[in-house]
This record gives sequence, structure tokens and C-alpha cells, in this order.
Amino acid sequence: MKRYLFALLVVIGFLILAGQVQAQAIVIANPTVKASDVSKSDLRDVFTGAASSLKDGSHVTPVLLKSGPVNDEFLAAFIGKNDTSFRAGWRSLVFSGQASMPKSLDSEAAVVEYVAHNSGAIGYISKSTPHEGIKVLSVR
Amino acid sequence: MLNKHIASAMLAIATLSIGLHAQEFKVGSETVQVHGFGTQGFVHTNDNNWLTMETSNIGSGAFTDAGVNMTMQIRPNLRIGGQVYDRKLGQLGDWHPGLDWALADYRIRPWLGFRGGKVKTVLGLYNDTQDVDSAHTFALLPQSVYPIDMRDATLSHLGGDVYGTIKARKYGKFSYTGYVGDQLPSVRGGYPYLLQIHGVYIDKSQGLTYGGDVRWQTPLKGLLTGVSYEESQVRNTGQLNPSVAVGGPDIMVPYWEQSRSQFTKTIYGTYTYKNLQIDSEYRYFWRHFTIFNGQFQAIVGTHAWYPSAAYRVNNWFEVGGYYSHFDEGWIITAPGQFEAPSESDPSRHIYDKVITARFDVYTHWYVKVEGHFMDGNAAGTNPQYPDGFYPQVNPQGLSPDTNALVVRAGFSF
Repeated sequence: MKRYLFALLVVIGFLILAGQVQAQAIVIANPTVKASDVSKSDLRDVFTGAASSLKDGSHVTPVLLKSGPVNDEFLAAFIGKNDTSFRAGWRSLVFSGQASMPKSLDSEAAVVEYVAHNSGAIGYISKSTPHEGIKVLSVR
Repeated sequence: MLNKHIASAMLAIATLSIGLHAQEFKVGSETVQVHGFGTQGFVHTNDNNWLTMETSNIGSGAFTDAGVNMTMQIRPNLRIGGQVYDRKLGQLGDWHPGLDWALADYRIRPWLGFRGGKVKTVLGLYNDTQDVDSAHTFALLPQSVYPIDMRDATLSHLGGDVYGTIKARKYGKFSYTGYVGDQLPSVRGGYPYLLQIHGVYIDKSQGLTYGGDVRWQTPLKGLLTGVSYEESQVRNTGQLNPSVAVGGPDIMVPYWEQSRSQFTKTIYGTYTYKNLQIDSEYRYFWRHFTIFNGQFQAIVGTHAWYPSAAYRVNNWFEVGGYYSHFDEGWIITAPGQFEAPSESDPSRHIYDKVITARFDVYTHWYVKVEGHFMDGNAAGTNPQYPDGFYPQVNPQGLSPDTNALVVRAGFSF
């Protein structure tokens, strides 16, 4: 009985720790995007559909991760929303004719691939994900 | 039997929601996105039939809507698209699909864009997104400001918008929308339905509308405030049976009514802090109509406001509540008619206290459970303007208070 209880505690502890691991989301962009950094405010505007260009005039198209800790961290840290509220905002825009839905991809590798091959694309991945062929934007 | 129909509808929605996903296809080199949504509601009231449904016995599931849209981003700053929408709400809508919006949107600069076609009208916080149930906490938005039986009264216009956002450095940013066009209220909405008690059958409703909205994203993070104004000159035409309300032969004759002055003023604010959202809105509506082929004048003025709060506990659960205040006054110059009684009379007001729980049970699939506790019906025996309670479905008369349970499930893809 004690053994099972110990195993249960280990599993719970692992789950708690796993939830607290910081994915360290970074913002990536297609090399055609002129900017090398982006303000948090501009990033929020682009990823909530309020703007389609950065301060330097670069036209950008956001691309999203479907779910996962990197997605949750990016939304919390840079957009200030949880996933459900974030997607509700996009549905308001799409179903009232004010925007097209950004592409949502299943994996970080797919985001890197898409951003690398689409002019103006801007997305987010974890720092540890290989990201060749794209540029990393620092967030001010 | 009714429960069986509701269960079937719920099952169909659940099945559809799991099977349907956003689709894309190519036209030439361009991608066309396809998105859609649907909802099924059930309403039970302890007394009084509400929203043209037979809600007061076991309840009614005649509360369904759905929409499908296609959009194509032709250039980085040029987008076209359209949406078809259909609904059944008791005696309203009646499964007649219509073009909800269809537009071309050209954004030249962040501070200057144009939209043309059939465009959703920006008026207050949620007029243009009131059908997007999946984006809202509440099963029914505050009915004083967004009456679902009157959804299409100010919903869209056939014309053009100019819009944009101007950043004001440390003062936040300002967004504006200005528009002009033709308003096209549905003939299957609450107002034409109400007129049937007077022997009036509207078959066309149209008129010029124009207005604007300015909203300020303040330097205080999460706080937005704004004002909207809309004016319209609507003309309704159809058939009149004079024997019903004004005396005369039992025949149908041509009918018209025309607005002399009609406007809506709105002031609003919303504040978001982490998972908490607080909204508030005040709307004043004024309507001076020449009715019954020019014989009489009808003046209606309504005050509507609400504060609401919603808190998202986690990704699958949200709670919220609001207090919705509605009162109306009127003067009719027709013989035998009279001015409105005092506001304390139940026929002049609806004060609605609401509490909601929302469950996001699957990625694109949710259920809302909501309780309404209404003081007043703003209708009495001779309502002058729609407000949710209609004599046609309440032939026995109306009780002053109504409690309602609303369950609404939906999906989007």
C-alpha cells in the first residue's frame, strides 16, 4: 500500500514540476521581415488581429501552435491571454468578417518550416527547437 | 417528444463538431478558408413565454443557429469573403438562410482601411459579434442592449466603412470606424412579428443608415472605453388588415410606415485583468415613426445598460454574471392609445439578474448553463416595441416576473 502511495506521490510531483517547466518561447520570423526586434505591444496587436504590420512597416502574417506548453507560455507572457480567450477573440473577428484565421500548426518543427518558407510569416517556438533558415526577433 | 428532438439536435451538433474542422482549398494560387459554427439552445421559464418560444411548460428547443463563411486573402492588405447565416428562434428566423456579410476589405495603412459590401455594423462592444456565441461567456448577451429577438435591427448595412487605428504613444491608441449604407432589417425579426398583432404584415424593410464608433485603448493595460452613434431612416412596407387595430373592412391594403427620427447612442467600457473581464455599456435608443400609412405618430425611447463580469477559472470552465436594466417610454397618437405608465410598472421595464457557467468540454465544443431572474416584462397587454415578451405567445396575459433557465451548446470550426 505504502509503495503505491509513494508511486502516486512521485507521479503527482512529476506532473506538477512538468507544468512548471518554462518552455522559454521565442519569436521567429521569415528573413524577409526587416525588423530585428519587436515591442510587446506590436506583437500583441499582430497576434490578436489588430494590426498586420510592425512599426517599421514590415507586413507580417502570424502563425500559431495548436496547443501545448510553448503555446500557453507565449500567450501568457506576450499576449496576456489564455488559449481559450485568445481563440475566442479570433473567432469574433473571423465570424464577423474582420479577419482571416491565422494558420494553426501541430508542431514547432512545422512552425519553423512554415515561417522559413512564407514571406512575412511570424511565429513562436521554444528556444531549444532547431530553427535554421529563420530569424529570431528579440522582444522589447 | 420535444425532449427527443432536443436530444437528437444535441447529438447531431456533438457529432458534427467532432467531424468538422476548418477547411482550406486553393483558387489559383490563393487559399480559401472555410469556417463555420452552430448552436442549439433550450429555454425553460417558470412563467410567461419568452423570445417567441413556448418556454413555460417543459421548455423549448426552438433556438438554433448556424453560419458558414469563406474568406480569401488576395493580397497582404486585401481580403474578400462572405458568410451565410440561418436561425430559428421560436417564431423568428424560420429557417430562411441569408447573406450575413459579404465584403472586400482593403487596409492601406494601420490608420486607414476600407470595407465595402454587406458589412457588420460596429455599435458598442458586441453588436457586430453578437452571433459569435462561442466567443462570449453568456448564453444570452445582456438583453437590454443586445436583444436576440431584434438581432438584425442594427446588425449590418449594405455600404462602406472607413476604419483604422492611431497610436498615441503614452496615451494608448484610438480606433475608429465610420460607415454609411442601407440598413436591411429582416422581415422575420421581432418587430415585424410584433406588428402582426395590429394586422400589419411587413414584407420589406430598408433605409439609409450612418454612424461611427471611436474606442480608446487607454494606457492602463486592459482598459478600453468607447462611444458609438448610429442614425437611420427606415421605411417599412407591407400589407395591413384595417379591421384588426384601426377599424375598417376585413381586407388587406398596402401599408407603410416611415421613421422621422431614429438613433442609437452608446457608451461603453471593458476591463481585462488576467482571467477577469468586466464590461459595462449604456445605450439610449430613440425612435419617432409615422405609422399606419401616415395616420399616427409613435415615439419610443429606451434606456438600456448593464455591468457584467466573467472569470475564466481554467481552459474548460468560466463563470459570469450580469445585471441588465431596460426601461422604455412611449407616446402613441392613435385613438384609444395612451402614454406609458410610470417606470415602476412591470410593463415599462425588465431588470434581469443573470448567472452563467460555461464549460469548454472539447476543443471546439462548449455548453453554457444560465439562470435569468427577471423583474418586469416591458410589454403588458399592448407592447409598443419588442422586448422579448410577445402577446401572440402569451394570450393568457403576462405575469410581472419571470425566471428562466437557458442551456446553450455550440461548436465552431
